[in-house]
Formats: sequence, C-alpha cells, structure tokens
Amino acid sequence: MAYANLMLGGLFQAAVLFLVASGLQLVFGVQKIINLACGSFYALGAYFGITVMVYFLQSGWPIWMFLPILIGAGAVIGLIGVPLELLLRPVYRRNESYQLLLTFGLLLMFQDVFRYFWGSVPLSVDSRLYGAYGTIQGMGLHVPVYNILVILSSILIAAALGLGLSRTRIGRIVRATAENRNMAEAIGVNSATIFTIVFTLGCVLGTIGGALVIPTSAASLTMAAELVVEAFAVVVIGGLGSMRGALVGAIIVGLLRSVAVALFPETEILAIYLVVVAVLLFRPAGLFGKSAA
Amino acid sequence: MNIKRRDFTKLAAGTAASSYLFGAPAFAQQKPIRIGLLAPRAGVAAIVGEDSIRGVQWGVERINRSGGIAGRKVEIVIQEETTPKETIERFRQLVLQDKVDCVQGLISTGVTLGVAPVAEDERAILMCWDGTTQNGVQETMPKPRFVFRSTDNECEAVMSSLLTIKYFKGKFATIAGINPDYSYGRNNWEAFRALLTRYGIETKVVSEQWVKVGSTDLTANIAALGAAKPDLIFSSMFLADLPIFMRQAQAAGILANAKLVAPAAGVQTNQLKKDFVPEGMIFGHNTLYFAHPQASALQKQFVGEYVEKYKVMPCSSADRAYFNLMAYKAGVEAAMKTTGRWPKTDEIADAIAGIEIESLGGKARYRQDKIAEQMFYQGLTSNKNAFDYPTLARSDGVFSDRLQKPAGADFWQWIKTADFPV
Repeated sequence: MAYANLMLGGLFQAAVLFLVASGLQLVFGVQKIINLACGSFYALGAYFGITVMVYFLQSGWPIWMFLPILIGAGAVIGLIGVPLELLLRPVYRRNESYQLLLTFGLLLMFQDVFRYFWGSVPLSVDSRLYGAYGTIQGMGLHVPVYNILVILSSILIAAALGLGLSRTRIGRIVRATAENRNMAEAIGVNSATIFTIVFTLGCVLGTIGGALVIPTSAASLTMAAELVVEAFAVVVIGGLGSMRGALVGAIIVGLLRSVAVALFPETEILAIYLVVVAVLLFRPAGLFGKSAA
Repeated sequence: MNIKRRDFTKLAAGTAASSYLFGAPAFAQQKPIRIGLLAPRAGVAAIVGEDSIRGVQWGVERINRSGGIAGRKVEIVIQEETTPKETIERFRQLVLQDKVDCVQGLISTGVTLGVAPVAEDERAILMCWDGTTQNGVQETMPKPRFVFRSTDNECEAVMSSLLTIKYFKGKFATIAGINPDYSYGRNNWEAFRALLTRYGIETKVVSEQWVKVGSTDLTANIAALGAAKPDLIFSSMFLADLPIFMRQAQAAGILANAKLVAPAAGVQTNQLKKDFVPEGMIFGHNTLYFAHPQASALQKQFVGEYVEKYKVMPCSSADRAYFNLMAYKAGVEAAMKTTGRWPKTDEIADAIAGIEIESLGGKARYRQDKIAEQMFYQGLTSNKNAFDYPTLARSDGVFSDRLQKPAGADFWQWIKTADFPV
C-alpha cells in the first residue's frame, strides 16, 4: 500500500500538469503557437485563488464549498485570455521564433505583475482548507480526500473537453480550424473568434490548474517557470498538439517524478528528461503526435 | 577673500594630513553613521530579510534615541541580496557610492563567499547575519580582518541531534531526511547522522529528500516519505517550503506516526499553525525564542513592540541583525576609547572581537577569528498556549561555544571528538 500512496501522489501531480499541458496543446493545435506563458496562467490562477479564498474564509460560507469556488475563481481569472489573445494576433503568421519571444516576454512580465499585486513573499491559504474534506485511511493508505477530488476534477474536465471537441458544433469548427485554417475561413468560419475562444480556454485550463494546487502548496514568483519545465516535458512526450498526448504525458511525468523522488531523489528532473530525450530520438512526434512527414 | 592656488594647495594638503594623523575632521563626525544593509527582499527568503531589517530598524531607533553612536546618529541604506554577482555590485555601490561606514546582512553562503573577499579587498567592514555553512568557512579566507561571520549554520543541527538523543533515544529505528538541496541542508543532514552514530544509535535511513531552493511543490516528496514510513524525520527546511511540508505531511498522516526534528523551524513560527504542527516535535528557534520564560527585559520590550507594530512574532533573524548592529556600535565606542579620537575602519574592525553584547536572545559576541557566538534555543513543542502556533513545552538554551567548532578546527573531525552537552 506504500506504493499506492506513491502512485496517488503522482496522479495528483499528473492531474494538475494535465490541465496546464492540455491548455498548451489546445492553443498549439489550433493557433500553432507554443505558449511559454502557460506557466504564468498557472501562477495567476494560484495567486487569484488565494485572494478569493481569503474572502471566502471571511464570508463564513461552509468550508466544504471552497473547491467549487476555487475552480470558479480559476475559470473567471482565466478570461484574461480574451485581451491577451489580441496581443498575439500580429505574430500568428510570423516565424515561430517571434511567437516564442513574445510569449517568453509575457512570462517575464507576469512575474512583475504578480510582484506588484501580491508582493514577493510566497503566499499560502489557511491550512484548514486542505483538510476540509478529510482523509481516506485504511490498509496502509492515507490520502487527503482533496487530492482525490483534484484528480477527479481533472478527469471530468478532460472528459468534458474531449466531448466538447468531438461532439459539439463548436468543437467541430475548432477541429476544422486546427486542420486547415484557410479552408475553414473559406467556408465561413470566423477564425479570429475561434482563436479567441481557444486561447481563452487554454488560459482557463491553466488558471484552474494553478488555483487547485493552492491548498497543498504556495503561490510564489518562481512557480511559473518551474511548471513550464514540466509542462513542456509532458507535451514532448505526449506529442505536440495532441490532447490524448497531454493526458498520457502528464501521467507519465507525474508518476515518474513520484517514483524518482522516492527511489533516487537526485534524479527527479533527470528521470523525466531522459524519457523526453528518448522520445525525441526515437519518436520525435511524441507518443500521440502527428509526424511532420 | 582671495585665495591663491599655492595657499589652496597648502590648505588641502594640511587637511589631508590632519585627517590621516588624527582621524576624520570634526565636521565629518557630525554626519550620521551610515549602515548599509544587504537583505533578501523577494522570494522564499524574503521573510528572513524582512525580519532582519525590522530588527535593525528597532535597534537604530533605540540607538538614536539615546544619542547615537559616539554622538553620531545612525541611518541605514538598504540594498537587496540576490545572486552573488549582483550582490557584489550592490556591495560596491554601498561602499564606494553611498559611502556607508559598515555593511551588514547576507543570508546565503553562496553570496557571502562572493562578497567577503571583496570586503577584505575594499577594507570595508562586512558583518554577516547568516550564510556560514561549513562550505563557507572552510578556510577560503582563514584570517579575515574586515569580515565578520555568523555562528556556524550547523550549530542548530548539532543541538537538534543532541536533543534527539536526549528525548527520543530508543524510540526510533528508521530515519528519513527532507532538507534543502544546498550546502546548509546537506551539512545538517550529514551532521545529524554523524552524531547519532557517534552516540551509538543504530538507525536505518529509509528516505533522503532534497528540496530545491524556492520550490513549493512537495507532493512527490510527501508521497516518498509516506511510502518510506520512517520513525523519525529530520528536516532543516526553514523557508516557505517548511509550512507546505508540514501541512501536507500532516494531511498524509505522516506526522501521526513519525517523530519530527526541525532545527530551523522558528523562522516560520507565524506560518506553522497548531492544526498541522504536532506536539512533542523538536523545534529550533535558533537565537531568539519569542516566548522564553526567562526572557530579558530587552527581549520582552522588543517582542512586545514588534508584535504591536507588525502583528506577527519576530524570529531569530531579527536577533542576528540586531546583534551585528550592536557589535558594530560597541566596536566603534571601544576603538574610540583606545585611540581618543574618531577611529578608522581598521581600528573599529580590530576592536569588535571579544566584546560581549546583550542581544535580543541573550549574550553574544564575536570570537577573535571573527565568528559569532550566540545563545541557541530549542525544545519540544506544546500547543497549550494562547497563540495559534506552538510554543516550547521546555526550552533548552545552549551557548554556541558548545555547539560550534573552535577556530581552525575541521567541523567533521570536531564532531567526532567534541565534548557535547548531551
């Protein structure tokens, strides 16, 4: 059962990583932009989540309501994607290096925005929140229910995203735009609107991911850059632009990190990037990515 | 008045000569003494920098109210401690541009290693609040004249190890460590294990976790500790990572079954709430324990005014910073008494060592090798108090001459033979 605890720890990380990486995949899949600022959206969700939780705790609402409110807070602040997408429009048809530089610039700018609004000291929420839903115990298993709820929330979001993209009209339009933007525009699709929707959705996924880690962690100025390192490992392993790849990649990275930390603590990042290197060498498009050829 | 060039040259030469022979001219003595501070102000160490600055500010107000240092008021100039390279530049700026009389501060060993040789080179007094892990003092600069170092950072790990033996001997067989992944954390963990071995306590290490600077995601580390099921966990984390670890470890049920030893937890006192800090853990407050039952009048006044002003408890960072301010003051006054005039920088530097200071947490002084000596406080936690964080059921206080290696000794050899107050 000791290893069950370990696996659940890994799945918790995978759940959060999936949210951020799926946003990254969605944006790349449709807009062909590698968004380095995805880590900033994650951090923004965390900082905003803390602010909302401070008001929530002062309001006297039942404490069990904090999880849906936290998810809602993440979703609301994710709407910042609407104006941000306007900023990216000039570089859609330019070389990838412009896009990388612009989104990297956003990553750095956001760090100072966080410093301005929330200060430079790491922030955390009231410790009661993490234990609000209790703990599952027995047979050697000891897991906070909150961790399970985050894993379930992530699965639900993944399912909703999958269904939305495959079964709804807007989903079909998004996929058509991703497949061939010019053709989609030729048959009357307003690609500008689709891009705004997709980018905002990607942003919302990241901010929800950030908000969800707050009860277990802290919001800090370095969290955005730290996450980008792992999110890109997920994307490379899973395959750029593939939602299924994001899911599998996140699970691989989350579990691998858990096992590496338990068995060979010094190899935490090494273990992940060994897999990344192996994928790049033997399956450059990733496990679920489309081959460039 | 018409001054010819020759007259002016004579006047200037005369002024320069009298300055050299008799110290600074009288008008300079009326200028405030400027103390430059280098403190971390952002990131996970910001809380340490902030507490330290508050300690200095309190001390400066106190000094200025009582007439200043030898009649000169004190003012502070604050710069940020960041990377070694940037901090060296800021140190130079403080010394060369802001013309400070003394620079105090620094938390990181890596930064002190970079700045200290520059201070010697510039012949500027540098008094370090912290940053003295063994890697920082392994005689890279064996006989500094202007650089004053804090107590060895391993002091608190040595004391925790001794308290572990005192309170927990026979109650644990497996141990795990979760420590910062830099020299401080690595040395503390190694010292802890070395002392257990020295006192004949056989243990099996079931997990070793290393937390990177600034990391706030400890999910994988918690899962690893949960899987290892140690009887005792040793953690010298002291930044924002410590409350995160404690909160997650409590939720994962790890602290229900394992004893916990946290030599540097006091820095995070305000963040370590009772609902996730177990009673009976070894908790280190370093050089200032805010609720010490035999606290001096000075400490009581400081803690009272600090809480009233900032609404949080002070920690040892404030004490270390206050000690350095007062040690500098004592050095200036002693050198002035000896020379009968305003002392020069090297005279002040030579006078500081050996003077006993009443610091906030108790007596303190600099040794002749310019390493600090201070009181250390640790004990077992209790939640029976009026605060929302734990206090110590019983506070053990030990002066650092029993916890740190003597001048010139090798730390790792010394802990094998030293006569410890077990």
